[in-house]
Amino acid sequence: MSGPFKPTHQGGAALTLDSVEASILRSLTVQLLELIGPGDEPAADADPLAGLFTEGPSKAPQDPAIARLFPDAYSEGPEAAEYSSEFRRFTENDMRTRKRENCLALVRSLDRAPVGRQGDVELELDADGCRSWLGALNDLRLTLGTRLEITDDDGEELYQLPDDDPRKPQTMAYLWLGWLEESLLEVLMDD
Amino acid sequence: MSVAPVEIERTESESAPVAVREPDLPWVTIVHNDPVNQMNYVVYVFQSYFGYPKDKARKLMLDVHHKGRATVSIGTREEMERDVQAMHGYGLWATLRHDK
Repeated sequence: MSGPFKPTHQGGAALTLDSVEASILRSLTVQLLELIGPGDEPAADADPLAGLFTEGPSKAPQDPAIARLFPDAYSEGPEAAEYSSEFRRFTENDMRTRKRENCLALVRSLDRAPVGRQGDVELELDADGCRSWLGALNDLRLTLGTRLEITDDDGEELYQLPDDDPRKPQTMAYLWLGWLEESLLEVLMDD
Repeated sequence: MSVAPVEIERTESESAPVAVREPDLPWVTIVHNDPVNQMNYVVYVFQSYFGYPKDKARKLMLDVHHKGRATVSIGTREEMERDVQAMHGYGLWATLRHDK
């Protein structure tokens, strides 16, 4: 395997990031956490049972990146809008929680990983950790991809943006995340 | 389901079959093409969530990629809502509809 993730004997994956990479990944993930937000959930000190009965939002999110993470479930027929909003009320809070948990797991593993002599962060993920990372990496790509307005026609030119292009830093991060994800998938899908 | 008295049950079995209630089928889950999700990722999702063999998962992924969409599961409306929610959890763009 040529990518950055290597399979471990315990069925997980190991990854070493240099300090700059680790800090970029951490900061992108924290931004995603802020973007996903707590949704319409009650405050932490509220009645814990209340959360079970709290309905989610019924309208699609305004932010296109968030709308991409939580799309409408129905797109056809006269009742599509009504059904989508009903679906959203009963699922979106739960979905936000799960996406947030993936991000938190990624941040926690970065913070807890041993740091090598050069400042390298040496991660070892178990199978659950791999799944959380995969989910978080993919959600990061989706949000960056939406911000960058990536289309099917964007291919090689993404790699050839001039240095003074304002999209360059985000594009580099987007491509790097894609490369990390591919490598993790290679480990996970190895038969 | 309640149990009918024996004599009624017998009468029914001898008469011509009446219209069977249409089962709540089929609704379908559709995955739409998007420019961000990587091919291998989509194959991974179809394999790990639906348990489809690699060949089937790959064929469905290619359908999504080339035709713009593919039907990935069939069932009751409730089941399809569950599948759509799972697809959204993975970050795939999915919708459900009644397959009339």
